[in-house]
Amino acid sequence: MKTSLSRRHFLRAAGSLIALPALESIGFRTFASEKENVSARPKRMIFLGLGFGVTQETWFPDANQAGTEYTLPDGLAPLARHQKNITVIQGLTNKYSQDAHWGSTFWLTGANRFAEPGQSFHNSISVDQVAAVKISQDTRFASIQLNGGDPDLLAHHRGHGPGLSLAWDAGGKPIAGLDSPALLFHRLYSEESMPLAKRQALIAQDRSVLDAVLSDAKQLQRGLTKTDNDKLNEYFQSIREIETRIAKDEQWLGVPKPKAPIAEPPAKMRGKEEVRLMYDLMVAAFQTDSTRVFTYRQPAEEFVKSLGAKVDIHDMSHYAPGERMEVSQLRDRTQSTLLAGLLDRLQSIKEPDGSSLLDHTCVAYGTNLRTVHTLDNCPTVIAGGGAGIKLGHNVVLPKNTPLCNLWLTLLHGVGVSAERHGDSTGVLSQLS
Amino acid sequence: MESRLASVLRLLRTCSLLGLGSLGLGAAFAEPSSASPTPKPAEHPALPGKHRDFLTRYCTECHGAEKQKGKLRLDDIPFTLDSPERAERWAKILNSLNSGEMPPDDAKQPEKPEKADFLEALSQTMVAARRALTDQGGKITMRRLNRREYQNTLRELLGVNLDVGTLPPDGGSDTFDTVGASLFMSPDQFQLYRELGKKALTLSFKAATTETAVQKAHFEAEAETIPMIERQVAEFVSIRKRHTQWTRQVDAAARKPENAKIAAELREKHKGHTEKFYLEWEKIPGAPSPKEFGFPDAIDANMMNGRWDTYVPQAADYLTLPKAKSGTYLGVAHLNHRWVSLPVPQSWPPGEYKVRARIAAPPEGPVERRFVDFLTDHPSNQVVSTHQVTGTMENPQLLEFTCKVDAESGRRFKFSEKAVSGNGDGKGPANDIFREGFEANRIGPEYAVWIDWVEVEGPIQSPQIAGTLANVRSQIERFEKKETDARQVLSAFASKALRGRDVTPEFLDKLVAIYEARTKEGDKPLDAIKEPLALLLSSPSFLYLAEPATEGAPRQLTERELATRLSFFLWSSPPDAELLDLANRGELRKPEVLSKQVDRLLADERSERFTRAFVAQWLGLSRLDFFQFNSRLYRDYDLPTKAASKNEVFVTFHTLLQKRASLSKLLKSDSVFINGLLAQYYKIPGVIGDAFREVTLPADSPRGGLLGMAAILAMGSNGEQTSPVERGAWVLRKLLHDPPPPAPANVPQLNRLAGKPLTTRERIALHQEEPQCAQCHRKIDPIGFGLENFDAAGRWRTEDLRPDVPQNNRQINASGAFHKGESFRDYFQLRDLIAAKPERLARGFTEALVEFALGRPFGFSDEDLASEIMDRASKKNLEIAEFIHALADSKPFHSK
Repeated sequence: MKTSLSRRHFLRAAGSLIALPALESIGFRTFASEKENVSARPKRMIFLGLGFGVTQETWFPDANQAGTEYTLPDGLAPLARHQKNITVIQGLTNKYSQDAHWGSTFWLTGANRFAEPGQSFHNSISVDQVAAVKISQDTRFASIQLNGGDPDLLAHHRGHGPGLSLAWDAGGKPIAGLDSPALLFHRLYSEESMPLAKRQALIAQDRSVLDAVLSDAKQLQRGLTKTDNDKLNEYFQSIREIETRIAKDEQWLGVPKPKAPIAEPPAKMRGKEEVRLMYDLMVAAFQTDSTRVFTYRQPAEEFVKSLGAKVDIHDMSHYAPGERMEVSQLRDRTQSTLLAGLLDRLQSIKEPDGSSLLDHTCVAYGTNLRTVHTLDNCPTVIAGGGAGIKLGHNVVLPKNTPLCNLWLTLLHGVGVSAERHGDSTGVLSQLS
Repeated sequence: MESRLASVLRLLRTCSLLGLGSLGLGAAFAEPSSASPTPKPAEHPALPGKHRDFLTRYCTECHGAEKQKGKLRLDDIPFTLDSPERAERWAKILNSLNSGEMPPDDAKQPEKPEKADFLEALSQTMVAARRALTDQGGKITMRRLNRREYQNTLRELLGVNLDVGTLPPDGGSDTFDTVGASLFMSPDQFQLYRELGKKALTLSFKAATTETAVQKAHFEAEAETIPMIERQVAEFVSIRKRHTQWTRQVDAAARKPENAKIAAELREKHKGHTEKFYLEWEKIPGAPSPKEFGFPDAIDANMMNGRWDTYVPQAADYLTLPKAKSGTYLGVAHLNHRWVSLPVPQSWPPGEYKVRARIAAPPEGPVERRFVDFLTDHPSNQVVSTHQVTGTMENPQLLEFTCKVDAESGRRFKFSEKAVSGNGDGKGPANDIFREGFEANRIGPEYAVWIDWVEVEGPIQSPQIAGTLANVRSQIERFEKKETDARQVLSAFASKALRGRDVTPEFLDKLVAIYEARTKEGDKPLDAIKEPLALLLSSPSFLYLAEPATEGAPRQLTERELATRLSFFLWSSPPDAELLDLANRGELRKPEVLSKQVDRLLADERSERFTRAFVAQWLGLSRLDFFQFNSRLYRDYDLPTKAASKNEVFVTFHTLLQKRASLSKLLKSDSVFINGLLAQYYKIPGVIGDAFREVTLPADSPRGGLLGMAAILAMGSNGEQTSPVERGAWVLRKLLHDPPPPAPANVPQLNRLAGKPLTTRERIALHQEEPQCAQCHRKIDPIGFGLENFDAAGRWRTEDLRPDVPQNNRQINASGAFHKGESFRDYFQLRDLIAAKPERLARGFTEALVEFALGRPFGFSDEDLASEIMDRASKKNLEIAEFIHALADSKPFHSK
């Protein structure tokens, strides 16, 4: 029974995979450009987390210019050609976030660190993972996490806080990210050199491997206290997750990986070059429908270094007029330039119906830290038509509107009917 | 409602419980009262009752019995923070005060000191409440092996040194890497364990079955240098010749009458820069292209020709040096004589190698440059070790040391002068040294190091590794001769790897089945067995230090568990045969036996792992690696010196531990543990050589104790300038056990005076302007200012030479006073005041030790444990080893 389900699943997946280029090539464009079909294109999401905040004086549009007639400030100026494709949202806050160097830990979760009595750290599922379950099941990778290649340092210095990427699983445990464009490229496009039969045997072997360690885990489980069992549960969860991956591998076993629409990136790219390459690869992954959900915890220290700045990222974040503030502003502008480049690429890729990838992609760009140690009014830019929110606006919400209301709105927008996310109190009607 | 007196008394108990110095009550109240009864764990922190006045004056008009703006009522708010909800409510109050949102602008505002006092008390109470509410009542969460322990365990099981850098980093939010709650597992990580396990087994099998004859390679240092320099000179001669030919022909074309006008124009344009004239050769009809002379273009032609000055005179000079024909003088820039390399075949197996060099310092070279670095060609180009050159040209020294080579690392080693390694900021002092020398004589600087020959010999296995590999070999042989079958091999390995846990028949069956499946696939038995063995190394029984228990009262550890806990505490690796033997005989728990074992473990060199891991995390030393020091400002704080300064912290602690010396020596000491390199850095005469040793200081030395250590001071900087805030906060956290609360969120930024020339002190005084900042900075900053006589790299100074400091205000003023406490005139008095309170350091050290050893945060319920350890250590003059003994003897250490 399981096999036939997987097979159907796979056929559907494989079908949609080849549909995109095939339809386009035989001139289905006019045919498929009806409105319903546009909205029926797959939805895609990208979450880009900056870590340390922005230069608030020169990044936020004037709150008195709410609406479409607003001037892009210096920090967002490089996005000018995409002003119609983005909406800046002001007033969003994760009310439980109090750790002044944690720009990423709770950004997509809205969790209360102290929610669990007796624990000094607690987190919950991140919005990308909620979305992935629904919108990305038919792709080879349900979601892909990327993590900027900063050196292995104190979380404090990076402005991201604890975690291994922006993503947290259903149990609130950190999900690791790929830390270089080269790794991402290989994940997406490098073909297994192994023959099919051998791979099938390997998958069977992987199953027996998991079965073996599970028997040990079950044995160990007996006699453990509740806390220890919770800890061991992380192991069980990992094994289950690998089982899911194996099932997925099996589905995709006969499907060759798509041909890369992009050249293999060099091995060591750091800072802004890394970001640019990661953006290119995200677009490529959407083009080949390898996944539909990305999170990217961006490089911080290396990013600032790659701008030729002499101040380190933490000092930069504590800016005051002078060199530090200039570096902070340069970082804002460079980030915006890179983001504009990503939007260019998304816009340039046409779907068979004539719409562009950008029309079906929702890009969320920001961080949980506004500036320095400030955690309210998180800088937030939403780009692309994926979640169906109104674009081209400077939206000024009431102070301390839950950031999770935005996440919930985006979930609904891409077709995930969640009741709530984190501390959300409802969807943001101001965005429709 | 409880009386104010009762609540104050309760708070006092709590404060002393928390070791939280003063909660805005003044230091005099903060000392623990001997009459205070033993606390119950249920005791919860409370804001002192006197602060209700603050609420009454500024808050309750809008948030009181009559009006409750924002549905918030504060007149009856309980001051005890005994539930997450109450803590949350107070967190909101704290935030709205910190952000300046409350009281609103049109309402009555508190005086600054008044507000700062309230904020300070509330922040501290919040920290205490969070700790109380997250207290686990002494429960230890089962943990997995961290990266270090995993690596050490594989080494002891398989005799190989595995690079585990691909595993995700351990430890989360400011905890030790032994704290179970912060050690996670993920699917990727499981796969990595599988891969690393297989890799370790492959390496181990290979090492065990390959005959490792000791090999030796010898290189005469001049062998490559002289031909290389001759090649470079020949190249420059050729360049000059071709360049001359080219420019002559351009000149000839320019002399043609028809080109006179353009030639004159160009000569006028480049007056004084003859070279640049040739860059515009294309404008002169008939002038030849530099390509015809072998140059890619004109710019390149000029550039290559221009390098003559810095290369050729240096080379010519080099060839005349008295011992250039029998060795290499190490250069610092331009010519390729900066390194003496020792390439050995990549086939040489991993292990320890002896490296020897015959080496000397030419008399002209300055003393401070008489150091060589030894590097590998690992991509990080890391300096493996640094050595002082003490030999003379007449009587060179024989340098000998060992170097570890693992499977991944390359096999090319090299020596260079220390200056060449630089500061890691990409500039490095080498170019500056060259420039200074070149400007003086148009040749280059004097040479500081000469190498006659170098030698590598090995591998030399340590007896431990050799023993492990011999064991692996005999296992393999018996398996291949079919004296043992897969089940027996797996079972034997499991009993070793799982630290005494029995592998269940079911698990074993499955492992054997995997082995059989692989042999059916055609794998050779020795390859097929790797997969199930690697699985044992990825199984929860191996990866987790499990101590089964039931809910409720703690139980006593079994002897095996005790052996494991002790061994991971002091060696970061599993128990050895002697510990296991004692445990199996049921003797380890006997106090006199345990005490002997603690001493044995501490005396073993593996205890260095404890020192390095614990001290680095306790004192937060990773911050040091974060900054590159500007080589223009801190030329002598190069990477080797920085590494030595970090080593000083470890060596000092470890020696004090082994000498049974007092922890208080970390606060002030009349001696330091340094080597020749650090002695030069600290300007302490008479210390020559690479070994660290105890050196007695002159009475007026600022060194001696952590506060005088370059590494500690450099951490309190950003590589450019000092950070009195980082330094002050570090002293409060680590030495005075009075940690400031975490930086509050949402405090408005002060930009008022930015951009104006200010002294560091003036700049930071801005912190005192707003009460939100002052609540902590009035405690932090004075201590930081007291350390201003040390520059960013920890060198002693009397003036701040930063360019943005006003000329007339450069004199360092280190005087100050502790907030609501004693004043000090200078650094020396500050150090004495801190050193007068060794019990503060001891308390923080105790808490850190408990956390590290038990793998869980220090909690309220540990109060008795801390007192017990402190009491025992106090009776022995705070000997470091005594803290460890007391902890190892304590009930919590023996309980799950």
